Amino acid sequence: MKRVISLLFIAALAVLLLYVVASMPPMGDPKNPTATHVIPRYLERAEEETHTENVITGIILNYRGYDTMGEVTVIFCALAAVLAVLGRERRGKIFGFVDRSEVPSSTIVKTMVRFIVPFIILFSVYTIMHGETSPGGGFQGGAIIGGSMIIFTTIFGLYESSRRVPLRLRAALEGSAVMGFFLVGVLGLVGGGNFLTYAWPRVAGNLQPSLVVWLTVLVEIGIGLGGAMVLVSILFAMIREEEEIAPAA
Amino acid sequence: MRLLHNYHYAAAMILFCLGLHTVIVRRNIIKKLIGLNIMETSVFFFYISLGYLKEGIAPIRVGGAEPARMVNPIPQALILTGIVVAVSVTALALSMVILLYRQYGTLDVDRLMREEEKGEAVGGGEV
Repeated sequence: MKRVISLLFIAALAVLLLYVVASMPPMGDPKNPTATHVIPRYLERAEEETHTENVITGIILNYRGYDTMGEVTVIFCALAAVLAVLGRERRGKIFGFVDRSEVPSSTIVKTMVRFIVPFIILFSVYTIMHGETSPGGGFQGGAIIGGSMIIFTTIFGLYESSRRVPLRLRAALEGSAVMGFFLVGVLGLVGGGNFLTYAWPRVAGNLQPSLVVWLTVLVEIGIGLGGAMVLVSILFAMIREEEEIAPAA
Repeated sequence: MRLLHNYHYAAAMILFCLGLHTVIVRRNIIKKLIGLNIMETSVFFFYISLGYLKEGIAPIRVGGAEPARMVNPIPQALILTGIVVAVSVTALALSMVILLYRQYGTLDVDRLMREEEKGEAVGGGEV
């Protein structure tokens, strides 16, 4: 009965949504309202105003800098909440109740993971460094690093993995990512411009474009490494708890 | 036929309904979370499709690309934020699920409700 009612409800919702879709302007039309208002200005002026060829990076790190600041805050709040729910990890304690025996997996899998993880990290470095000229950027590269660590952890276990990325390193990188982002943003305010913009009338007319690019890359690296370490920390917190509740054999 | 022409939007709506169906009907909490993620993905898909331009190019000004032909960059920038928020929400929800499993030993919603009622009857709401 419940199932039938929910199916009916969802069918009605689908019909309603499809009806709305049928009355929307045609997809991909250059005269759509979504493509006519603020977009042409961003596309025309982004390169000279933000000194990045990639307009999306310009929007994320410049026009909507506060937005990205909030985004960084959200992911750190998530880490703080997960640690509050699952219990904080104390230095050295992580080794205490994690059994150090290796995860049973075949030699082929282990060799492949050992072989492929450096290349994944290399690719993420590429993604971060080329964030202002190609698709990609800090968050994407950080997610790729996090993915490589997740693969490593599933195959080699928490003990090996937490030796590679110890708590001290993670805590330092997580903190410095937010602080670096915030400081570069505030430098813009100190220079007389807006948050996270690089027009600094109080210092010079405009910064050298090369310096702007390096500041952007710095912010991207900070976001990337910080995001990756947050992902790894969340994963470790979850696995640790899982091993603790596993029935003692 | 506007609906057939806007097939991206239609697919996003259908995906949304499938995700909502998963959230409502499934009894396993992990599967409910998967449904929530499907819903989020459909919204992202819808937004990115809104920025689509016929025969558009990526909004990267390299090699004399003309701005008039570029797709809309704002949905992509917004959805980047959305993805991070979705990941954060999922991580938090999963950690709550871990706690629930630790407390009750089950992820079945119906059984969890029954356990909760039993706990209230015996221990006065204290779990």
